Amino acid sequence: MEWSGLALLILVGAGIVTTGLPATFLLIAAAILGALLGLVTDKISLSILSALPSRLINLLENDLLQALPLYVTMGLLLGRLPVADALYRTSNALLPKRASAPLVSTVLLGALLGPMNGSVGASVLGLSHVIAPRLTAQGVSAARRDAMIAVAATLGVLVPPSLVLILLGDAMLSAHTLAVTATGRSDRVINTQDVFHAALAPAGIFLLLCLALAWYVGRNQTISEAVSGRPSPQQIMLAVVCVVALVGLLGGVVTGYFYAVEAAAMGAFALLSSGLMTGHLRASVLREVLHDALAVTGALFSLLIAATTFTLVARLLGTDALVNNLVAGIPGGDVAAVAVVLGVLGICAFVLDAFEIIFVVVPIIIPPLLIRVADARWVAALVLLTLQASYLLPPFGYALMMVRGAAKAPAPFGDFLRALCPFLIAQWVSLLVILMAPRLVHLGEDTTASNRTGAPVSAQEIDRRLNKMLPPPPEIEPK
Amino acid sequence: MAWLHRLDRLTGQIIAAARWLALPLILLLFLQWPLRDLVGCCSREANDLGQIIFALFVAVSVTAATRAGTQLASDALAHRFSAHTRHRLRQAAATLAVLPWASFIFIASKPIVLASLLGLEAFPDSYNPGYFIIKATLWLLALLMIAQAFLDIFLPPRQGDA
Repeated sequence: MEWSGLALLILVGAGIVTTGLPATFLLIAAAILGALLGLVTDKISLSILSALPSRLINLLENDLLQALPLYVTMGLLLGRLPVADALYRTSNALLPKRASAPLVSTVLLGALLGPMNGSVGASVLGLSHVIAPRLTAQGVSAARRDAMIAVAATLGVLVPPSLVLILLGDAMLSAHTLAVTATGRSDRVINTQDVFHAALAPAGIFLLLCLALAWYVGRNQTISEAVSGRPSPQQIMLAVVCVVALVGLLGGVVTGYFYAVEAAAMGAFALLSSGLMTGHLRASVLREVLHDALAVTGALFSLLIAATTFTLVARLLGTDALVNNLVAGIPGGDVAAVAVVLGVLGICAFVLDAFEIIFVVVPIIIPPLLIRVADARWVAALVLLTLQASYLLPPFGYALMMVRGAAKAPAPFGDFLRALCPFLIAQWVSLLVILMAPRLVHLGEDTTASNRTGAPVSAQEIDRRLNKMLPPPPEIEPK
Repeated sequence: MAWLHRLDRLTGQIIAAARWLALPLILLLFLQWPLRDLVGCCSREANDLGQIIFALFVAVSVTAATRAGTQLASDALAHRFSAHTRHRLRQAAATLAVLPWASFIFIASKPIVLASLLGLEAFPDSYNPGYFIIKATLWLLALLMIAQAFLDIFLPPRQGDA
């Protein structure tokens, strides 16, 4: 019976690829199938399933999830306001007049706007709409243009306070709470702020590698200066205001001066106000933006409620205990266990996107890993890098497919992959560096307040505690 | 069939109205920081009201996503399917997944939602009124999903759906 949860998850993956139905519907269908199986075999009682509405109400009142509509709205507004264009032109004008300036500017733009864009999809569309025509006009080859946009669009995943980071932070908090309770360790439970701090070093390493590569691969290309377009004084002013505001918001969140949700609200409010005042957001455009914000938020939230249903059923079927045993049985030390789990996440990335992995796979596979590996910050940073890598994973990586879908004349796939290859290597190098040097995610951390380990607990004791803890009591009244 | 078209119009009108909730949501969540750190009052009230609006927004958003076709899905093989096959698959998903799930949520949440509604439950931390609205939005979410499932099952596909 324990295997049925994993079998259902594989079924969901197969269904996503073969039917084209939304992952939400397939997760709900799999959860219903699992629940029926559990009811028939007396593994699950109906009273335990009635805890599901309480879990959904928890989602409806979750402070952190309020970031969802804010980020989505910001992404949509950035796509309609001339911010990206102003930043790109100003960056190009400020950089030394080298052939690689357009590529370096694209990377900088991705890092700056990505965290505010809400999703990789929004970043791809924004960059494809604003930057791709300029790169083409400046003589950048189609393959290199598409590769740069795909890479730049995923930078927002790593740079705080991105939506992926916020959602992963919430998932890591839950997973770490389970692990700490199960093992009886005296660790301080990781929170979203910790995940932000943990992401800084990996984000910095990957960004530096990308900038260096953009400079290196672009240094010999021939570009047309005439079409690069000098920025107007208004565009320079807009770019400066944007950079100051974005750095201020990022700094405020990283230093804990205000919460990520508040930063997102400030960003959305500033964009909305400027759009209304400058006349870029007329009533019809605003209606369209708000409708899209509702629909895109719904896509993410429905995935979350479906994943909540599925993971509840999987736990009731005993899948969590099975996964715990499998993770505990991985031979080798911490690095081996983490590498195997990251490999599983990588395989999942062939059929699931980053949000699906965070909502469905992380709650199942990360608690057992954190039972074995005490350094939750390190695990969070590695999961984040793996999620970012999943967007660029050939041949089905979401960013790759989106870029090719958005391009008017996409490059041949082979050329595109060749142009992408150095950046994929940089990504793997970043992952390897963080895997082998966990200290990098603890830079500036107060080590006296961080992970402390208690007396070791036997595997049987961990099993007993997990079994005692995980099946939710039938009457949960969230307060 | 007339009732189905009325249901379709009603669902569309609810979604069209709900999109405007994004504006007060942004404003209230933006105001939290200055209210807390500069004014020194009312940030809890802004937070609670923001929570209510957020719950209403996301409760409607799930059905809005289904109608707008923004749900996360892979088109790797499905782009080869005919419009008829896609419609049949959507009907099957609505019948076997969405309808039973949403009905279960509606029925199973009855004790929690009714107790909260009848007691006009206040927010547990701030004692501000209106917490019962958050619990009631679960019914809104479930009822809209049930309505959309009926529409997906019984109405022919709209233009552009395929």
